[in-house]
Amino acid sequence: MEKVIEVEGLIKTFGETRALDGLDLTVEPGQVHGFLGPNGSGKSTTIRILLGLIRSSGGSARLFGEDPWKNAVALHRRLAYVPGDVNLWPNLTGGETIDMLGSLRGGLDPKRRQELVDRFELDLTKKAQAYSKGNRQKVALIAALATDAELFIFDEPTSGLDPLKEAVFQECVKEITGRGHTILLSSHILGQLEHLANTFTIIRNGKTVETGTLGHLRKLAASAGRDPDSMSLEDLFLSVYAN
Amino acid sequence: MTGFAGTGEAIRFALKRDRLILPLCLAGLIGWMAVYVVSYSGLYATQAELNALYKSVAGNPALIAMTGPTGGLRTLGGATAWESLPVVSILSGVFAMFSVIRHSRAEEEDGRTELLLASGSGRFAPLAAALIVTSAALMLAAVGNVAVLAIADYEVGPSILLSLAILGFGLVITGTTAVFAQVTGKARAARGLVGIVIGISWLLRAIGDTGDGTLTWLSPLGWAQQTKPFWEDHWWPLLMLLAATAITISFAFRLLARRDIGSGLIQPRPGPARASPSILHPLGFSFRLQRGSIVGWTAMLFIYGFAVGAVGDNIESLLESSPTFTEAFASASGDLIDSYFASILTVIAVMGAGFTIAAVLRPHSEESRGRADLLLTAPLGKVRWVSGHVLIAYIASAAMIGLTGLGLGIGLGVATGDYGEVGKLFASGFAQVPAMWLTGSLALLLFGISSRLAPVAWGLLATFILIWTLASFGDIPQWIIDLSPFSHTPAVPAVSLDLTPLLVMTAISAVVTFAGLVLWRRRDLL
Repeated sequence: MEKVIEVEGLIKTFGETRALDGLDLTVEPGQVHGFLGPNGSGKSTTIRILLGLIRSSGGSARLFGEDPWKNAVALHRRLAYVPGDVNLWPNLTGGETIDMLGSLRGGLDPKRRQELVDRFELDLTKKAQAYSKGNRQKVALIAALATDAELFIFDEPTSGLDPLKEAVFQECVKEITGRGHTILLSSHILGQLEHLANTFTIIRNGKTVETGTLGHLRKLAASAGRDPDSMSLEDLFLSVYAN
Repeated sequence: MTGFAGTGEAIRFALKRDRLILPLCLAGLIGWMAVYVVSYSGLYATQAELNALYKSVAGNPALIAMTGPTGGLRTLGGATAWESLPVVSILSGVFAMFSVIRHSRAEEEDGRTELLLASGSGRFAPLAAALIVTSAALMLAAVGNVAVLAIADYEVGPSILLSLAILGFGLVITGTTAVFAQVTGKARAARGLVGIVIGISWLLRAIGDTGDGTLTWLSPLGWAQQTKPFWEDHWWPLLMLLAATAITISFAFRLLARRDIGSGLIQPRPGPARASPSILHPLGFSFRLQRGSIVGWTAMLFIYGFAVGAVGDNIESLLESSPTFTEAFASASGDLIDSYFASILTVIAVMGAGFTIAAVLRPHSEESRGRADLLLTAPLGKVRWVSGHVLIAYIASAAMIGLTGLGLGIGLGVATGDYGEVGKLFASGFAQVPAMWLTGSLALLLFGISSRLAPVAWGLLATFILIWTLASFGDIPQWIIDLSPFSHTPAVPAVSLDLTPLLVMTAISAVVTFAGLVLWRRRDLL
C-alpha cells in the first residue's frame, strides 16, 4: 500500500544552522505514529516541510506520494493540522473561527461540529483574545477533528488541555483510527504516546535515532543489556538519550 | 513604592531590546530637522530670497492648513521652524506612540509582562520604563535638534524654544498613548486610537489656523505651533504641553492601578457562536480583517476632504490681501482653487498610501503572528490568500482617495452653495490612485523577498513624504523628485489630465505586484 508519509535523508538549513540533517520518517496508512525528540530536535521543522509551509534543502519528503511543496493545496484537502501554539484572530469568536476554517474545506458537518463542541465543552461565543491557551487549542482541534481528513498532523496538540479534555482527545484519536485514517502525533506527553501510538520515530539533532514499534524499541533496549518488559516509553526515550 | 519595583531592570531590558531601533529613530528625528536646516539655509541665504519666499507663501490657505501660520517666514529661523515644527512634532508623536506601546501594551498582550510581574517587578514598572525610555529618547532628540540649529548658526534662544515645542508635543502623545494602552487590551487598537488623536490634533489646528483660530487651542499641536519660535517667541504654551503630559501620565497610572493585568479596561464582549456567511470565503474573511481600518481611514480622509473643501471658499477673500501670491499661483496653473485642491489631493494620497502599505502588509502581520499557518495548511493557496488582501488594499485605496475628492467637492458646495465642482473633484481624486498602488506594490515586493524586509516599506513612504515636502519649496535635483511616484501624478484638477504617467505607473505596479507574488510563492513561511 502507498505510504502516507515518506521522508528520506531530509535536510533543512536556516542560514548557518542545520535544523534537519538527514532525517527519515515513514508512516503507513492507519498508523498512529508517535514523533519524539527533545526541544529543538527538528520535529516542527519536519512537520512544516510536510505541510508545504517551508521548502526542504535536500533529501526527499513525500505525502501520499506527492511533493508537499508543489502540491500543497491538493494535499491539504486530504489532511488536517493542529499546531502546538494556536494563534487565533483576537476579534473573532471561537464559533466564527471554526466555521471560517471549516469553510476553507467546503464546510463542516453541523452535527459533528456540535458534538465536538459539547465533548470539549468550548464556549463558542467568546472572542479569541479572551481564550486561554487550552481553549485556543480546543478551537483548532474542533476545526480539525470535524473534518474527514485522511491524515491528521498533531504537533503537541494537547499541551494546554486539562486531563478530562485530554481523555476526550484520546477518544477522538481512537475514532480516527477506527475509520482507518492516519495520525502523525508529535508530543512530549510520553504516557499519552505510549497509550495511543503503535509506531514511533525518535529523533535527535535533526536525525532519526530509532524507529519502529514499542516492541521493536524494547528489543533494541534488550540488546543493550536492559530488561525490556519493565521498560515504559519514557524509560526507552531516556535510554536513547543516555547513550 | 513597591509598585515601581523593578523599573530599573525594565528600563535596561527595553534599552537592550531597542539597542538598534532606538538610535535609528533618534537619528531619524534629528536628521529630519537637519534636512530642513540645511535646505532652508541653503535656499534662503539672503534676505531678498526670504522676502520672495514670504511673498509667495504667506497667506496661502493651503499651506497654512497643511503646515501652519506663515507670519514668521520673513526670517530664516521662522521659515525653518514653520515647516520643521509640525512635521518633526508629528514624527516625534508617531515615534512616542510606537515606543510606548511596544514596551507596555504589546509586551502585555504577548504575555511577557506576566513573567516580569511574577518575578518580583511592581505592576507599574513596565509602563514606567516605557515612559522613561520614550521621554528620554525625545529629550535626547531635542538636545540633538538644538545642536543642529546651533551648528547652523541659528539664534540659540528660539532654537531651544523650537526644540522644546517639538519635545512637548512628543511628550503629550507619550502620555496619551499611556492612557490608551490601559483602555484597550490590544496594541493594534491602542495604536489606532493614538493615530486618530494625532490626526485630530493636526486637523483641529488646520481648521483653526485657516479660520478664527479657536480650534487651534484645542490641539496640542496647535499649542506647540503657537510658541512661534524665531517670530513672536511665546514660551508659555510649553506650560500647556507640560500640563497635558502630566495629566495624561498620572491618569494612565490611575487606570493601571484599577485594571487587571493582561486585559484592558474595555472587556471584549461575547459574539456570535456561528459565523456570518460573509466570512465563509477567503476574500470575505480577509475583508473582515481589513474592514475596521478601511472604515476608519475612509472616514478620516473624507472628513478631512470635507473640511478643506469648506475652507477652500475662504481663498478668494485671502487672495485680495495678497496680490503677489495670486499672481504667482494663478499664472502658474490657471485656476487658484483648483491648484489648491490638487496639492491637497497629493497630500492626502501620500497619507493614504500609509493605508495602502498597511493593508498590503496585512499578510505579513498574519504571518509574523503565526496565524497564517492555520489558513495555509487548509486548502488555500499562498498566492490566492495574499492576492486577496492586495486586491482589497488596492480597491479600498482607490475608493478612499476618490471619496476624499468627493468630500472636497461637497465641502466646497456646502460653503458656496454651488455643487458644480463635485463631479470634477471626485474624478480628480482617482488620478492619485496609480501612485498609491505603486507604493503598495513595492511593499508587497519587499514582503515577497522576505518577511523581515517588509517593514522597510514604511521607510519608503517616509522618503516619499520627505521628497514631497522638499519638492514643494526647494531647488532639489529633479532626479530626486522623480524617485517618488507622487511626483509623476498630474496635478489635476489644476492642469489637464495627462493619462500617460498614470498608465505607466499602473503598468509598473502590476508588474511589481506580480513579481512580489511570485517571490512570495517561492519563499518559506516564517
